[in-house]
Amino acid sequence: MSKVEGGKIPGRQLMAVLVLSRVVPMTVAFPMMTELQVPQDAWIASLLGTLLSIPFVLLVVRLGLRFPDKTIIEYSELLLGKYLGKLVGLILIWYWISVVADVARELGEAYTIAIMPETPILVFMTVTGFLAANAARDGLEVVGRMGENGVWVVLFFLIVMFVLPYDEMRFKNLAPVLARGVRPLAAPTGTVVSFFLQFIVLGMVLPYLNRPKDAARYSVYAVLASGLLMTWLTVVLVAVFGPTVSHLAMPAFSLSRMISIADFLERIEAITMGAWTLSSAIKLALFLWASAVGLAQVFGVSRFQPLVYPLGAIAIAFGILFFESNLDLQRFLQFKNLGVYSLMVTLGTMGVLYLAALLRGRLPLGPGVRR
Amino acid sequence: MLGMLRRLLSRRMRRRQGSGQAETSSVEGRISSKLPVNRERIKAAFGNSADLVLRNLQAGAQGKISALVVHMDGLVDKRQVAEAVIEQITDIDLKWDNPRQAYADLKVRLLSASGVEEVDSLDKFITHVAGGHSGVLIDGVEKGLVCDTRGWEQRGIDEPTTEATVRGPKEGFVEALRTNTSLLRRRIMGSQLWIEEMRIGRISRTRVAIAHIAGVANDKIVQEVRDRLRRIDVDAIHESGNIEEYIEDAPFSLFPTTLRTERPDKVTGALLEGRVAILTDGTPFVLIVPATFTMFLTSTEDYYERYFIGSALRLLRVASFFISLTLPSLYVAVTTFHQEMLPTPLVLSIAAQREGIPFPAVIEALLMEFVFETLREAGVRLPRVVGQAVSIIGALVIGDAAIRAGLASPAMIMVVAFTGIASFATPVFSLAIGVRLLRFLMTVLAGALGLFGIVAGMFALLIHLTCLRSFGVPFLEPLAPIVFSDLKDALLRAPWWALRTRPQFTGKKAPTRQAPGLRPRPPSPEEEEVHHLVGEEGGK
Repeated sequence: MSKVEGGKIPGRQLMAVLVLSRVVPMTVAFPMMTELQVPQDAWIASLLGTLLSIPFVLLVVRLGLRFPDKTIIEYSELLLGKYLGKLVGLILIWYWISVVADVARELGEAYTIAIMPETPILVFMTVTGFLAANAARDGLEVVGRMGENGVWVVLFFLIVMFVLPYDEMRFKNLAPVLARGVRPLAAPTGTVVSFFLQFIVLGMVLPYLNRPKDAARYSVYAVLASGLLMTWLTVVLVAVFGPTVSHLAMPAFSLSRMISIADFLERIEAITMGAWTLSSAIKLALFLWASAVGLAQVFGVSRFQPLVYPLGAIAIAFGILFFESNLDLQRFLQFKNLGVYSLMVTLGTMGVLYLAALLRGRLPLGPGVRR
Repeated sequence: MLGMLRRLLSRRMRRRQGSGQAETSSVEGRISSKLPVNRERIKAAFGNSADLVLRNLQAGAQGKISALVVHMDGLVDKRQVAEAVIEQITDIDLKWDNPRQAYADLKVRLLSASGVEEVDSLDKFITHVAGGHSGVLIDGVEKGLVCDTRGWEQRGIDEPTTEATVRGPKEGFVEALRTNTSLLRRRIMGSQLWIEEMRIGRISRTRVAIAHIAGVANDKIVQEVRDRLRRIDVDAIHESGNIEEYIEDAPFSLFPTTLRTERPDKVTGALLEGRVAILTDGTPFVLIVPATFTMFLTSTEDYYERYFIGSALRLLRVASFFISLTLPSLYVAVTTFHQEMLPTPLVLSIAAQREGIPFPAVIEALLMEFVFETLREAGVRLPRVVGQAVSIIGALVIGDAAIRAGLASPAMIMVVAFTGIASFATPVFSLAIGVRLLRFLMTVLAGALGLFGIVAGMFALLIHLTCLRSFGVPFLEPLAPIVFSDLKDALLRAPWWALRTRPQFTGKKAPTRQAPGLRPRPPSPEEEEVHHLVGEEGGK
């Protein structure tokens, strides 16, 4: 078997990268918030979504561990046969590329709306995309290490952001609990789950772990950590802004505007924006890496590096072309669009693969398959 | 980004290979049994150099045996040559009549220099003579003897000029290799300190020594150092900087991946972490490999002062590293794009200062940075006598005149000056200079894209640093990948008794360096009672 990627990363770095990639949507746009009808219960939706996502992540890990040293692209070919397997692989790669396009656009929109309205959005998207592709080209080890470092920076800023507006928080805003029943929570919970479904990228990372046995543990930790961060953030947001929070375009950003340190650093939102750029770039790097390695494996190319820059360019172009305006982007991020799309792609492919694995049972599947 | 450049260059280099290599003349063949032949060949090899001394002697019964003593004037200790070599050969009491007997006697008994070696190739003989040995040839014997009579003028051991400390040894390396190895040997008396020597340079034949601690250093790294040094095939090595460029991992990086130092205590500290030192004859700068990023922000003094102070100083250095990298760019970004981040009075004051200045903040920053760098460079190169003039003019230009002429704002002067000072706080010059170059880049980025530019620049820098390796060790270790056990001696320094383990990547072979539980404790109550009693008895 030709090795497309040679690096190995410890489970800790996997966790860091996953947390970062989950933190991105909630700090930049936080789509769950915008479709809330009952903001008071947002934290319930966020917790619920987190818990619902754990079985899915475990499913990905379990299937992956049945094929140690095979990526999801490789074992889908083993399970479904050459052509169907490649098709499933291409669907996943398309999904990852669309995630990249989407994240890059979100970041660009955030910059042009909030910080530098006169600079064209393309600048932010290309610069971030180029840097991310650069990191992805250096392989998973580099992405993992950057994630491991970046996560501390991002966590620091998040926690600063969560704690410092303490004066403004009114915890009464959180009452009443479940005033209108569980029903209105369905869509936001779905959004939360749909973002966690992006963890299907685990299927690419699993074979490159130092100790594959850690995979389940660390990916569940990642889900829990990012879920708790998200819940904390929703609580803070609702406590600060009250029910109006669902009308804010970028709630976390507005939160950072409330902060004033010692009357000297008045508005540190540009600094938090820096932390978001870092996390977005690492997320882009991870997904670009996954799609490049995946594509190399689908078409039997021996090196993935030459594919990274073209894929990055394509993804950035998609990011420009997919959405006409910020409004369009916001609409896309809603559950009925992105959520359903995510659910279909990820649950669909995982379902098909799992079924195939079940049907094939203990049949010999080729070299490299043990257990 | 650099990958492409690297590939292009290596392609070009491959094309050039095989064309004209430097001519190096060496003397072929073995030592002849005829003395005049040897004499002529030696003379020819040195091109009749003025400092070559050839002394013909007659020894043995009735002076039947003729001998030749060869040495380089100025490289030998003359008294030693006279006493240990010439006097021994010409001793009147010796009644040799056979050259072989004379040779054997000289070899084992008579030559009283500390090192006597037998050589049979003329090339080796000449190399030794050129290195300060005295060579002895005897007519009728096709072998030669070389005696260690080296002794030349050298600078005394002095305080290292580039790495001064308040506390700690004041000795620095000098230009002589043997003195330098002795400085190491005096600090590590155990036989585990292994020093091997090789010669690099076809013409310069420079002596280069590799030092490591047996049983601590990773054998693979030591072998890698040997291999990389053996690969070097050049005319001459002038300074350890040449070697550095031939052996470093990332020749296209602004960041150095070998650490150079003048301090023997720094070298022994690194050796005991499992690193390898490369000592070069002719320069006081010793290379330490593998080098990691945190080593460049470390001064030996951190280990001598108490750990609170050591840690605080290190944090200060880390802070000044970031300041020297980003402060001007932050200033440019904030004043150009993000005025809202500052409190209103400060913004107004800066705006008022910038009132009459014709340039945008980026140009102003680049200009002042350029002036500052020029001043610094001039200050280093100027003869001491005129040095003062530069500082006076510099203070005037940078401090007062620029503001009065309306070329720069006082706030900018402060930023540039503080950045300059912060860049001096980086203990290793080779890192500081890379950062100074990057600062210009960051300023331009900030001028174009504001804080986003700075973040993008830092991200690119982080990618680059994460990719770097020094002899197989990740350059950012223990920060990326995070190695928890090594964080104790990275940005902070834990107390000595807590530094139980060596760094993971280099010191795995002998993981611990001290016994557990060395933390000092006040005596327990029972013990105290004993002390008390003893004290009382003493009193009686």
